[in-house]
Amino acid sequence: MLDFFTIFSKGGIVLWCFQGTSQIFTPSINSLIKSVILQERTGNNSFNHEALTLKYKLDNEFELVFVVAYQKILQLSYVDKFLTDIQLEFRNKYKDDLRQGKICSNYSFDHDFQRILREREAESKKEAQTAKTMRTFEQSQKSKKTVASMIENKKEEKAAKGKENKPIKTNSQVKEPEKNNSTTASVLTSNGELDEETIRKNREKLFAKIVKPKVESKPSPEATTNKKKVKVAAKSSNAKITTKDMAALDFSRKNGADMDSTQNQEIADEKLMSSEEFACVGQMRGGLRDIEPESDSDDDVQEEEIINTKTTDKRSGSTKKTRAGGMFSMFRNLVGSKTLTKEDMQSVLEKMKDHIIAKNVAADIAQKLCDSVATKLEGKVLGTFSSVTSTVKNTLNESCVQILSPRRRVDILRDAMEAKQHNRPYNIVFCGVNGVGKSTNLAKICFWLVENGFRVLIAACDTFRAGAVEQLRTHTRKLNVLHPAEKHNGQQMVQLYEKGYGKDAAGIAMEAIRYAQDTHIDIVLIDTAGRMQDNEPLMKALAKLINVNNPDLVLFVGEALVGNEAVDQLTKFNQALADNSNMTNPRLIDGIILTKFDTIDDKVGAAISMTYTTGQPIVFVGTGQTYTDLRNLNAKAVVHALLRA
Amino acid sequence: MENHVLVWMDVVRDGLKRGDVTIIGFLSALIVVLITIVFFAFMRRGNKRRGILILGTCDAGKTLLFSRLVNKVYKRSYTSIAPNTGDYSIPNKNKTLRIIDLPGHERLRLQNLSNYKELARAIIFVVDSSTIQKEVKEVAEYLYTLLSDSAISTNCPPFLIACNKQDLTLAKGLKVIQSQLEKEMNTLRVTRSAALQGQDGAGNNNTFLGKRNKDFAFSDLKPLKVDFAECSAQGNDEQSDPDIKCIEEWLLKVA
Repeated sequence: MLDFFTIFSKGGIVLWCFQGTSQIFTPSINSLIKSVILQERTGNNSFNHEALTLKYKLDNEFELVFVVAYQKILQLSYVDKFLTDIQLEFRNKYKDDLRQGKICSNYSFDHDFQRILREREAESKKEAQTAKTMRTFEQSQKSKKTVASMIENKKEEKAAKGKENKPIKTNSQVKEPEKNNSTTASVLTSNGELDEETIRKNREKLFAKIVKPKVESKPSPEATTNKKKVKVAAKSSNAKITTKDMAALDFSRKNGADMDSTQNQEIADEKLMSSEEFACVGQMRGGLRDIEPESDSDDDVQEEEIINTKTTDKRSGSTKKTRAGGMFSMFRNLVGSKTLTKEDMQSVLEKMKDHIIAKNVAADIAQKLCDSVATKLEGKVLGTFSSVTSTVKNTLNESCVQILSPRRRVDILRDAMEAKQHNRPYNIVFCGVNGVGKSTNLAKICFWLVENGFRVLIAACDTFRAGAVEQLRTHTRKLNVLHPAEKHNGQQMVQLYEKGYGKDAAGIAMEAIRYAQDTHIDIVLIDTAGRMQDNEPLMKALAKLINVNNPDLVLFVGEALVGNEAVDQLTKFNQALADNSNMTNPRLIDGIILTKFDTIDDKVGAAISMTYTTGQPIVFVGTGQTYTDLRNLNAKAVVHALLRA
Repeated sequence: MENHVLVWMDVVRDGLKRGDVTIIGFLSALIVVLITIVFFAFMRRGNKRRGILILGTCDAGKTLLFSRLVNKVYKRSYTSIAPNTGDYSIPNKNKTLRIIDLPGHERLRLQNLSNYKELARAIIFVVDSSTIQKEVKEVAEYLYTLLSDSAISTNCPPFLIACNKQDLTLAKGLKVIQSQLEKEMNTLRVTRSAALQGQDGAGNNNTFLGKRNKDFAFSDLKPLKVDFAECSAQGNDEQSDPDIKCIEEWLLKVA
């Protein structure tokens, strides 16, 4: 069933692999690494490449990656569990080798792998045969619920204490009467056989009903349950009821006693959930209070230990630094060995998320980033002097720098030179929503290019907004004054190609490019009309312009002031370009110009949002009103501003 | 001044004789601190510039070269996410070098480079000889960044440009690669110096490489020394020995 399974170090060296078919999997794995792991999209652990689905798991303690691949059409439910099992088994078996970093020792893992695979497959078959779809539904519902309540607990902390207790109380209340009163229980269990939507609704109503009488006055459990039962029935008959609902209620009345076995199951589940919840509640509270002082005291202990190590090292004289490294890690294993868990990081990540959202990063991207950081760190052994907060912060810092670093080279001057050698103009299209500064930044870029000795043609394809052409004409005149023809061998450096208003933009762009080719102009800058991302006809027109002219570079101009909107703009622009293209490889946005960067102080989040959404680099940053206010992005400075408190 | 010292010495000696806890505690603390400082200094000096960096673009064969050098075996590899480090012992010499293989992906390379460049005793820059024609721009850009880097130009570690994958039939020879790179670097000199400033005004590195008024040549980079070598980390097939003799010889030279 599985096509491929591989275990490799983060350095890229394969430790062990299993190959079910003779296909070559290296490209798939490489594209997984390049487009998921290196793009900080590790929150979600599956990835489709061609006909394969790849699932992966990071082991951060030993710096390993586990990847499994299977045909996309297969629905393998056991894969996630299988990955975890293999990870545990592999770690247990080769713990010592891995700790010493012996990447190249012989890992003969085939036997164990086959064994675990067989077990898992048998298990999943059994599950498939019994086919208790209802129960799995039920379970998943519940697990979701516990997670949700956990998160709530986290946020509200102690304030929520009172609230928290209520649902728990109700749970126990439900339980007690169930034990006493079989008929009430049967209502519940029969509900359990409904589809999950109804269950949820009914239960909510039920809880609402129970809580009130319990809190107000405390009658005997039997009375409450009776009341409850009546109320549930009444409620569901009063409210809009589906036929299904009706049938379910009837059904419950009919066979109360028959359901004993499922009923027990139900009670057990109920118990499980509440006990889990209880456990979680306790952990959270403790974790929250403890993190800072705990890590501090850890550091102190470790510090002392290290000093001791060093003295002993010195006394033993010739212990070399290689040995020292060994000793160091040995002591770390003895003393520190605090592995990071999701719970440890949660509060810190939550704080970080709020922080970067406050710095204008789009909310869902902040979430994804934090998820990715969590996956990156989970299971990692904390460094000697590092607390959870600093570790998380450093990792987030690294991730952000990584996102902002371009994933491919962008060198407009170099490419323009090459185009010049081939006797064709280099074409750049500027697009974006209204009022973000397309024309202004086009003029700045034009100035920069002229300064570097290129002749530029500006194509006025904004045939829509009043004054757009005149604005460009003014810029052209100003630039020609700054760089008069006499200085450049009598050649006019900047020209404007205009055809007035109301014409087809794609046509004008095409004519402009042809004109540039004929008159040996090096670069064509195509200014388009600003358009909102939801405006279907205008987006179509843009896609047409790009398809017809096939420019060398499509730049999206976005302002640094946007928050959540940035993601929407970019995805919709990209989508429109993809949808309205009839080519197999549609032209998408190649780069981003971030404008109005001088106006945002340290709220630099838009840079992260935009690069994360497209994966494309920020080519220029506009930082002011004059022609010289154009900069390259400095990833480190931006990330520094982003994470600064 | 001397009196002061003598007085203090007396106090200490006296305290030791009496077995005064404060004095003994003070002395032992002093000793511990001193030892730590010495130890740190020792570690610092020992670690400094023992590293051989393996750099290059994605898919050039860096990780394979690394495992050939460090573990002497063939290993399959994928795109690296993190650097690999390992020790390489020089044959017939009681000396080891630390081999550091940095990821070549665009997103990671500069970040990792800034962490490791101070350690570079020498740098092996791996080039994929079979795809150099297509990727010459990227390769040259990375090489330019390296050569113009301030830390590297102050330390001047020897450079070896390893033209890897010579086992492939379409692989270009050493001379061709050198001339292509030089030509590309020549253009890059122009575009780099014209590039925009970084936001904080200091981000851009506008160092001019080579001699002015003359086409770029690797021999003009003095005191930086750049060598070229042909190699094949893979060998003709998985079992056969790799052809990395020239790299080993070069490592012997720089060690």
